[in-house]
Amino acid sequence: MFNSERAADFFESSRLGASDAALRQKLESSSARHLEHVARAIDEFPAYDDERDRARKIKEDAIGRLDELLLELKRKLEARNCVVFFASDANEARKYIVDLARAKQVKLAVKGKSMTTEEIELNPALEKAGVEVVESDLGEYIVQLRRERPSHIITPAIHLSKEDVGELFKEKLGIAYTAEPEALTAVARDRLRDKFLSADLGIVGVNFAVAETGTLVLVENEGNQRMSIVLPETLVAIMGIEKVIPSLDDLSHFLEILARTGTGQSLTTYTNFINGPRQPGELDGPGEVHVVVLDNGRSRMLADPVLREALCCIRCGACLNVCPVYRRIGGHAYNSVYPGPIGSIVSPSLFGTNAAWQLPFASTLCGACKDVCPVKIDIPRILLHLRWKANQPEHQVQWPRAAHRARNGAALFAKMARHPWLMRFSARLGHVVLRPLARNGFIKWLPPPFNAWTKARDFPLPRRKPTPLDLDLGAKL
Amino acid sequence: LSQFQELLAKVRVALEKRPAEAQSPRPAETVLPVSAAARRARLGSRFIQQVEAVSGRVVKATTEAAACAAIGSLCRERGVSRIAIGAAVSPDLSSALAGLAKGGSEQVACGPIREQDRASTREQAARCELGIAEAHYAIAATGTLAVIANASNPPSLSLLPPISVVIVKVDNIVDDLASALRLLKPEISNGAQLTLITGPSRTADIEKRIVLGVHGPKELLVILIWPEND
Repeated sequence: MFNSERAADFFESSRLGASDAALRQKLESSSARHLEHVARAIDEFPAYDDERDRARKIKEDAIGRLDELLLELKRKLEARNCVVFFASDANEARKYIVDLARAKQVKLAVKGKSMTTEEIELNPALEKAGVEVVESDLGEYIVQLRRERPSHIITPAIHLSKEDVGELFKEKLGIAYTAEPEALTAVARDRLRDKFLSADLGIVGVNFAVAETGTLVLVENEGNQRMSIVLPETLVAIMGIEKVIPSLDDLSHFLEILARTGTGQSLTTYTNFINGPRQPGELDGPGEVHVVVLDNGRSRMLADPVLREALCCIRCGACLNVCPVYRRIGGHAYNSVYPGPIGSIVSPSLFGTNAAWQLPFASTLCGACKDVCPVKIDIPRILLHLRWKANQPEHQVQWPRAAHRARNGAALFAKMARHPWLMRFSARLGHVVLRPLARNGFIKWLPPPFNAWTKARDFPLPRRKPTPLDLDLGAKL
Repeated sequence: LSQFQELLAKVRVALEKRPAEAQSPRPAETVLPVSAAARRARLGSRFIQQVEAVSGRVVKATTEAAACAAIGSLCRERGVSRIAIGAAVSPDLSSALAGLAKGGSEQVACGPIREQDRASTREQAARCELGIAEAHYAIAATGTLAVIANASNPPSLSLLPPISVVIVKVDNIVDDLASALRLLKPEISNGAQLTLITGPSRTADIEKRIVLGVHGPKELLVILIWPEND
C-alpha cells in the first residue's frame, strides 16, 4: 500500500528490483507468454486498429464533457435506486464506505479486484473498524496473504512463482506443500466459497459507467466479481470520475480492445452489467447499491492540457508488460499502487508525494508503451511534460546524493561535448589513461566516484580519435 | 449535493468548457441477403468453434428431449446428484428433466422467491453440482452467451455449481458484440441485470498458467437448440 512514510526512493528501490535475478526471470517469462497471447488475439481481429481509434475518440469526447456526463450518470443511477456519493479525495471515499459498513453492521466484506480501492487504502480502514476484508481475486488473495500490495494492475502476483505460492499456502492455510497451479487454485476456491456465501458487503471496482442507461460494467475472468456483486446484501462500486462513457453503443468498442490487449482474450469470461438493486422475488443481486465516484486528483489531471490525455486510460496493463524498465525492476520498485509507464503518469497527480514525482524519470522513453496502448496515449510525451513539471518550484522533486552524482556526471559530459577541441582532448587523454583497464574496448571497474557507472554497466574505452558522429552529437547538445 | 456541485465546478474550470466535437457517423455496413438456413449454419458453426476455443463444449439438440438426453448423460458421467434449474427453462424441458430426478438425482427449482426464503434457497443452489440456465442471445464471433438475470433465471445457476449448462436457441445467435448490445439495448435500458459469459471461469494469476474453475464453474456445456427443418 502506498503511503509517504514507507515510500522508499525510486533510485534505491529500482536498484533492489533490478538486482533480484529471480524476480527478473519471473517477470520475463510471464511477459513473454503474455505478449504471445496478445499478439495472437490482435492478429485474429482485423478491425483492431479501427476499434482503437474509435475508442480513443469516444473517450476523448467523454473527457471533454465530463461534467455533463457525470450529471447524467448521477441522475440515471439514482433513477435505478442506486445511492451515489461523490468523494473529492481518498479520505472522503474511505470514510463513506467505513460508515456504511458500520451502519449495516458488516462483519465480512468480499472484494473484487479494484485498483481504486488500493488507491484509497480501503482495507486497513475497514479492518480498523472491525470488518474482516477478503480479497477474492486469486492474485489479490495471494498478495493479501503475504500482506503485500499488488505488483501489477492486472496480474497482482506476477512477482511470485508457483513455488512461492505453494510455500505461502502451506504456511498460511495449513495445507500440504504443492506447486501445482491447479491444486493451489482449488484450495483458494474452497476457502473463498464460504466467504462469498457469508459476506454481508461486496466491494468492486468499475471498468465503464454508461451515463445514458446508468449501467456499471465490470470485466473479469474468475467469477469473483460476479459473486461479490450478486451474493452480499449490500454492494459498493467505486470508480474514478474518468470511467464514464456516454452511451451503450460506445461500450462495444472498448470491450473489443480491453481484453485483447489486457490478457490476449477476445472477451473476458464475464462481463457484468450492474443495473441497480435486485427486483422483488429475485434470488440474487444486492438489496442496496452504493456508487462512490472518486476525484482524488483526477480533476487536477483534467486541468492540465497535456496530462488530460492520460484520463483516456482503460487500465489494461499492456504498457507494463512491454516496458523495459518495468520488466527489469518489477512493480513494487515504483513505490506506488499504479506502477509502470501509466503509473508513472498518474501517481504524481493522485498522490503528489516526492516518491511519486520521481516516477516520470523511471523511463527510457523508448515508446513501446505508446505503440501498445489500446487508446494510443502518447505516454513518452506526457512523461517528458511531467519531468519538466517535477523541476518547477512547486514540486522540486528530491533525489538522493547518488542520483545527483549521476546527474552531475551527465552535465559534465554535456559541457565537454559542446566543445569539439575539449572532446578531442579528453578522449585522447581518457584513451591513454584508461587503456590498461580495458578489455575488448570496455572497462568493468573504475575507482570512486566513477564506480557509480561501472557498478551498473561497463564503461566504453574512449576512442583515440573521436568519430565525426561523436562530434556531431556534441554539436547538437 | 453541494459536494457534487463543487466537483462539477472543478471539472468545468478544468475543461474551460469547450464544445464537444461532432461525432463522425458510423460507416454503413454492407448486408448481403442470405437465406435464414445459411445464416443459421454460418453463425451456428462459428459459435460452436469459438465456445470450444475458450474451453467450453456445445451439444446440438434438435428437440428438447434430445437436450434432456444430453444433460442426462452428462449427469451420469460426472456422477451429478443435485441439479439447480431455473423456472425460465421451458416447461417441456423441465418435465423431461424431472424424469432424470427419478433416476436418482435431486432437483432444486429456482423461481421467484419470498424474501425470507432467500438464505435457504441459495444454500440449496450452492450445494448443487450442476446448474441449468437460459441465455437470451449468443455471440458467434467470441463464443459468448448473453444471460439476462431475473427471478426465474437467477445468476446463481450459472455461477455457483461446478458444472454450468446454458441453453440457447440457434436463431438467437448474432454476429458480434456490437450487434448483441444493439439488440439488448431495450432490456438494459429497462434495468436488466445482464452478464456476458465466455467460457468457464478461469484464472492465470499463478505464473500466467491458465486454470479453469477458480470461483465460477469449471465446466461449461452449451445446449444449442437447433430444429431439424434446415
